[in-house]
Amino acid sequence: MSEWLESAIARAQGINDWLAPKRAHALELLANTKWPTRKTEAWRYTPLRPVERTQAKVITDKVELLPVAIADLSAIELVFVNGQFDQTQLAKTLPEGVSISLGGDLDTAQQAEALHAFSTIKPERHIFGLVNDALAQDVVVVTVAEGVEITQPIRISSLLSQGAESHTRVQVTLAAGSRLTVIEDVQAQGDSFNTAFVEYKVAANASLEHYRFALQTGSNVSIGGSHFNLHDHAKMHSTLVGFGSELSRLDTDIIHAGEFADAKLNAMYLLDGKELFDLHATVEHAMPNGKTEENVRCIVADRSRAIFNGRIHIHRDAQKTLAELNNRNLLLSDKAEINTKPELEIYADDVKCAHGATVAQIDKQALYYLQTRGVSRSKAQVMLNFGFINELIDLMPNAALAEWIRPIIRERFAQMEVK
Amino acid sequence: MTEQIDKALAREYEAGFVSDVESETFEPGLDESVIRRISEMKGEPEWMLEWRLSAFREWLEMEEPEWALVDYPKIDFQSISYYSAPKSMKDKPKSLDEVDPELLRTYEKLGIPLIEQQMLAGIAVDAVFDSVSVVTTFREKLEEAGVIFCPISEALHKYPDLVKKYIGSVVPKKDNYYAALNCAVFTDGSFVYIPKGTRCPMELSTYFRINEQNTGQFERTLIIADEGSHVSYLEGCTAPQRDENQLHAAVVELVAMDNAEIKYSTVQNWYPGDENGKGGIYNFVTKRGICHTNAKISWTQVETGSSVTWKYPSCILKGDNSVGEFYSVALTRGRQQADTGTKMIHIGKNTKSTIISKGISAGRSNNSYRGLVRMNPGAEGARNFTQCDSLLIGDQCGAHTFPYVESRNPSAIIEHEATTSKVSDEQMFLCRQRGLDPEKAVSMIVNGFCKEVFKELPMEFAVEAGKLLEISLEGSVG
Repeated sequence: MSEWLESAIARAQGINDWLAPKRAHALELLANTKWPTRKTEAWRYTPLRPVERTQAKVITDKVELLPVAIADLSAIELVFVNGQFDQTQLAKTLPEGVSISLGGDLDTAQQAEALHAFSTIKPERHIFGLVNDALAQDVVVVTVAEGVEITQPIRISSLLSQGAESHTRVQVTLAAGSRLTVIEDVQAQGDSFNTAFVEYKVAANASLEHYRFALQTGSNVSIGGSHFNLHDHAKMHSTLVGFGSELSRLDTDIIHAGEFADAKLNAMYLLDGKELFDLHATVEHAMPNGKTEENVRCIVADRSRAIFNGRIHIHRDAQKTLAELNNRNLLLSDKAEINTKPELEIYADDVKCAHGATVAQIDKQALYYLQTRGVSRSKAQVMLNFGFINELIDLMPNAALAEWIRPIIRERFAQMEVK
Repeated sequence: MTEQIDKALAREYEAGFVSDVESETFEPGLDESVIRRISEMKGEPEWMLEWRLSAFREWLEMEEPEWALVDYPKIDFQSISYYSAPKSMKDKPKSLDEVDPELLRTYEKLGIPLIEQQMLAGIAVDAVFDSVSVVTTFREKLEEAGVIFCPISEALHKYPDLVKKYIGSVVPKKDNYYAALNCAVFTDGSFVYIPKGTRCPMELSTYFRINEQNTGQFERTLIIADEGSHVSYLEGCTAPQRDENQLHAAVVELVAMDNAEIKYSTVQNWYPGDENGKGGIYNFVTKRGICHTNAKISWTQVETGSSVTWKYPSCILKGDNSVGEFYSVALTRGRQQADTGTKMIHIGKNTKSTIISKGISAGRSNNSYRGLVRMNPGAEGARNFTQCDSLLIGDQCGAHTFPYVESRNPSAIIEHEATTSKVSDEQMFLCRQRGLDPEKAVSMIVNGFCKEVFKELPMEFAVEAGKLLEISLEGSVG
């Protein structure tokens, strides 16, 4: 066990609040968890030295931090500053059918209910998920009432100041037939450390549009996960955009807990410098007639390292499942590295599953073609790289977000090409 | 239909019988004295004993690998006997006439009569009966070409320098748990050396046979193809029916020097255990080849037997322009578990690898493909293509794919594709419309599914493989 984990456990033992039973459970599991090494499958390509070395500290003093503005988005802002939920930034009046509250403010019955649901969707195998269970200051509980359609997106931002440590936790429940858009966003300054987990329960016929932006770069450690539980005829569409940092690790877990659920995941990550980004996407088809479509694209430049683990697990009863995973990677530099593992684990026979993975560099012919048309080589590279990613941006259902992220990505490419 | 299935499922393992040859067998157990005894009985040079002992010491420190998707009771390595030799070996037979007739009958029952092969097929057979190679035929004809094909124990005496130079050079002693164990206790195996510029005049073949009860079979094969040479090597296995699990931990090392080519084909049909998975062979094999400049290694395997398979024939593409190939059909039924695949390590420039893997799962079996494609920073212009297809027959089986793809060179291109499906109702309907019974139809469809791999097999092996698949699939259709 690492020193860092030991001190984290020691800190968690001192907390006594309504989450105490969950914290105790997490600590018990942590005590029996080996600190991941290169031999630990889930961390095979992601060394945890940055965690072991981190100097980040919990900052309790009030710090003023505001999330980056996104034009035309007009979201309901749910803001954490250095791990603390900032209620002053939450709108006073919320659309009808939506409730957002801090777990500690709920009445005992509601707390019991929240406690019951807490960490049931997030799998217990994730060591930092357990750390988050043990250390998260509180849980923010979001619910959308039955049949309610919320057009205004909810944006969950976790903001960190220099050298801060934060553990944030949100639980979102979409009641039957409801619709919601959620944006998860971490904005971390240097030398910080954060774990950010959100659990989603998408009830029957409900529909979730989801975004996760991990755009913080530089010397911070960012570990998190979005975990989805889909019931009968539930729908989700998730988009993930990631830039690397010293260590960025995200887990997306999708559980088809009901029949005829439909999940789409489009993920793209663009790495530069010495950044590392590790995405683990796990889809559990536990019920029949489910559908999953995943598109993961990745570009790595300079000395960066990308890791992707895409697992599709089809359980014995999940007949008539359709699952597809497509993973394409571009390697721009001879010092960069891509490690990808698309996995299929299938126990039902009447299913159609496929995955494909490619690793290559930009098509030389396409590059040549553009050059013959008078486009400079470096510009042609940016164009082709951008085109590769833009195909997925075009699939983002929210136009305001697509318009916001496009120039950010273009800028990123321009930087990547300079070196 | 159900009756038909029951009948076919209850089919006895056809190659299951015990032949009654007197043999000298060690008491179960493993310590340094056992290794010393093996080495002494073989009259091995001192360095070989030291090598074995150091491997054994490494092994003691190692942990059994647990990452494969297979589940079996823990092996008690002290309950295995590490040496068993047919007695008639004491005075080595000079020709087939001197061979114990009981031994020859064993092969005949398996449908591989040595004499017939010697006469008709033109294949030199280095038959391994338990642990000591008994008969080597066509030696002279090979000697004419300068090819060395003999038991590795004999090579240790006749060509110690060659063995010393290459043994453990591809699969190091402490490569993995079972390889280390094999280094310590291997009893025999084949040794092949093809001299520079020589095309081996015939296909070389070894038939393995596990016979002695409770005897682990630890084979070691070393094939060296010197510059510009070519060899095709066939390995086939079948074992008698047993109640207790038998461990088989073989090591195969291939060395393809510049411009050389090695083709290694395997048909594996060891006893898979009864319908409850009882008995059956544990097949934990390490196979690896190294390719120097412009060399080529091609692995083809048809795996239908064993209760647990753990096998990853691999290629280290060290030399520029070298080529690695892996063609595999793995069929599991009953309670069989297979975790098999390949590793292609691209080190040299313009290296190429192709992986075609076809997994068929039936009954309550689990069949996994686990592979690694790695492009090292120096693998300029390297290329890999991987295709993994799985076919599921019945709703109680599993088909899994675990491909690791690692690239550190931007000019390398890797393509990986995998699909999983069942035999489609449309295909079945079409076949049945044309008067085929369901079993025949499935057999045909499966044969088509595996065609890409079968066409890589030498003729006689391809026929055997097709037949094997057909027999194995009997009773799996419903």
